[in-house]
Amino acid sequence: MVDVGSLALAIAWVLAIYAIGMSVTGALRRKREFVASAENASLAVWGFVVIAVAALLHALVTHDFNIEYVAHYSSSTLPLHYTIAALWGGQAGSLLFWLLILTSMGAVVILQNREKNRELMPYVTATLMVVALFFLSMLMFITPPFERLAFTPAEGRDLNPLLQNYWMTIHPPSLYIGFVGCAVPFAFAMAALATGKLDDVWIRTTRRWTLLAWFFLSLGNLFGAEWAYLVLGWGGYWAWDPVENAAFMPWLTCTAFLHSVMIQEKKNMLKVWNMVLVILTFALTLFGTFLTRSGVISSVHSFTQSGLGPFFMSFLGVVLAVSLGLLIWRLPLLRSENQLDSMLSRESAFLLNNLVLVGLAFAVFWGTVFPVISEAVRGIKITVGPPFFNRVNAPLGMVLLFLTGVGPVIAWRRASARNLQKNFLIPLALGFVTGITLFAAGVRHYYAIVSFSLCAFVMATIVMEFYRGVSARRAMVGENVATALMHLISKNRRRYGGYIIHVGIVMMFLAITGTSAFKQEQQITVKPGDSFPLGGYTLRYEGVEPRETPHIAYLTARIVVLKDGKQVDTLHPEKRFYKKPEQPTTEVAIRSTLGGDLYLVLGSYDNASRMATIQAYVNPLIGFLWWGGIILALGTGITIWPARVPVRAPAYVPAGGRTEET
Amino acid sequence: MNRKARFLVAALLLVGAVVYLMYTGVQKSAVYYLTIEEFLAKKETLANEGIRVAGRVTPGSVTKKMTAAGEELNFRLGDFKTDGDGGGDAKSVAVYFVGVTPDMFKAEGGSDVIIEGKYRGGVLHAQSVLTSCPSKYEAEATGAQAAAK
Repeated sequence: MVDVGSLALAIAWVLAIYAIGMSVTGALRRKREFVASAENASLAVWGFVVIAVAALLHALVTHDFNIEYVAHYSSSTLPLHYTIAALWGGQAGSLLFWLLILTSMGAVVILQNREKNRELMPYVTATLMVVALFFLSMLMFITPPFERLAFTPAEGRDLNPLLQNYWMTIHPPSLYIGFVGCAVPFAFAMAALATGKLDDVWIRTTRRWTLLAWFFLSLGNLFGAEWAYLVLGWGGYWAWDPVENAAFMPWLTCTAFLHSVMIQEKKNMLKVWNMVLVILTFALTLFGTFLTRSGVISSVHSFTQSGLGPFFMSFLGVVLAVSLGLLIWRLPLLRSENQLDSMLSRESAFLLNNLVLVGLAFAVFWGTVFPVISEAVRGIKITVGPPFFNRVNAPLGMVLLFLTGVGPVIAWRRASARNLQKNFLIPLALGFVTGITLFAAGVRHYYAIVSFSLCAFVMATIVMEFYRGVSARRAMVGENVATALMHLISKNRRRYGGYIIHVGIVMMFLAITGTSAFKQEQQITVKPGDSFPLGGYTLRYEGVEPRETPHIAYLTARIVVLKDGKQVDTLHPEKRFYKKPEQPTTEVAIRSTLGGDLYLVLGSYDNASRMATIQAYVNPLIGFLWWGGIILALGTGITIWPARVPVRAPAYVPAGGRTEET
Repeated sequence: MNRKARFLVAALLLVGAVVYLMYTGVQKSAVYYLTIEEFLAKKETLANEGIRVAGRVTPGSVTKKMTAAGEELNFRLGDFKTDGDGGGDAKSVAVYFVGVTPDMFKAEGGSDVIIEGKYRGGVLHAQSVLTSCPSKYEAEATGAQAAAK
């Protein structure tokens, strides 16, 4: 099975080269059969990659410890779902998994578009296959996943206990799908540049793909935050670690891209900008992979240092050079057909939103690579920590939040006084009332006041949009509220799905503001029977109980949670000592309520004195982060879901693939 | 001012704001990142500056004591080759830390750590002790296992 895997990779490698050559030649010489052959070859590449993945999975599941990868990342006692997750637990496996997603998406793209977008497809295929070829080459020559050991160990070294977690099974795949998904719009953009077909066909065709990629990037980031929160035990969910930033940067530019393409579709503007954004997003996904794999910047995530760094950097350089070269070559064809009319217009709001998002991405990038830059310039490594990122992101985040309320409802071209008054008077008033109420209630954290006021403002604009839509339907069609709402959303999924996504974003802003402005924490060493107050709770430490299983030894603390003198809960933060490999881990205990979480960590414990160090955190509103994520997922689902048979179907579908509108 | 110029000014204002925030942000949170060798070479010039130092805990140098403020941790930080073993102040530095010892910090020493804190009076006062990534931990385990075989 293992030799089958290596062989499959080798065949896929050859086929990918063939596909690139044939599709470009076919496009240049206008030979349809060449292009068709290249497309079939790409489908075959997918098939062979599937075989390789199956071979590695088979080796994992059958515990073939003669394979280095299997011996490294699994053991015979590892539960099945983690054994499968070990596929992306190590370097070679995760590259292979990446390739599987890439070629699978490529296969779907080819099957969807080979008839519809004949002109673009040869270059789409070629671009995707170039990326696939890069990963295949890494797998063939640098980190072969099927490398055998000189001997067969009796037992594997097991997956790192930190990775033996529920989120491990879903966090990396969603990030990978998000990262790889960005390759599809990039491939179409390259095809548009290469062929000179620079109208918005490439954008409309890839709209769903971009949304899908964005969706998984969002989820990947959120799952990562949840993992950090639940597993790492430091009371927070985001530390501006380089690897977190690596996943956050493409999300920012992808978000910018999703918004700016609307301007191109509606107004034929920002064509160059859109190209730049899609190139940037794809480049950042490669850069992110490079960061995680190269060990250039120290991070809690870094995989073992490997020789992959220079290759990724070179590939990134080639991608940027070729794509920006193509862009410059086509600049004359990318002129805007319209121009901005007024500052007070939807175009301006979107443009500003884009500038802020890209500015954020740049600031995050700068902070992430700062050690490397300072070492090159001044010969000394200087790192910047969370204060840097918070300082830049907090004010710009406020601007973004404000624009979330403005952008969707302000008029195109030029907003009239009437339009502004109709849309913004009530929300602005609500925002101000919120701010004044908070101030009167004694809140003196000004960021928090601004943020909560803006949240109220944005929510009001969204609620008013729904209200207007529902009222109009009720008046015109005579439906009841629920039906009207259903129809309103289902007949204009893109618009109302977008609003729902915005609601999710507002909820996340609530959580981020709550946790960063009002977080309370305490680290205290206590004897059994001691109590201490935190954030309205009184916590009483009652002692630690040891417990043991053949695999893990436990130390479980018992902490009684009192509120207003009454016991409301008992929490059990824990230390676990894995016996193979020998490693302690921390299990946090959390009491979640609507207002926030009480989060307890058993820091250290001294057997002789029975004293324990407890770290206690109160994280207000943090639940909104996860619920916001669910709302965001719901909204994206609504936006992305293919419309059923259109209610008012056009008489014909124009040739040339304009059927992808959402 | 015509329309184009106005948009340009607005965009420049925004870029200016981002640059300003980044500049002040760096001022606020820049920290020297040094390897233990670099630190030892110029430790006296770094007194009372915010620094991060990467090194390896000298085996056998760790002492722990439970106090009311948390666990008190004293150890020596040495380089990655000799672990600072037996080299005294030329090869390693004393580190003092009160708080919660990270899970992956091995009591017998030998952990790769990053110390964040300030150097004062011959002792590196740590605000935080970060243990290196899990995968490095695994890489070391390989060595140990291979040796055992």
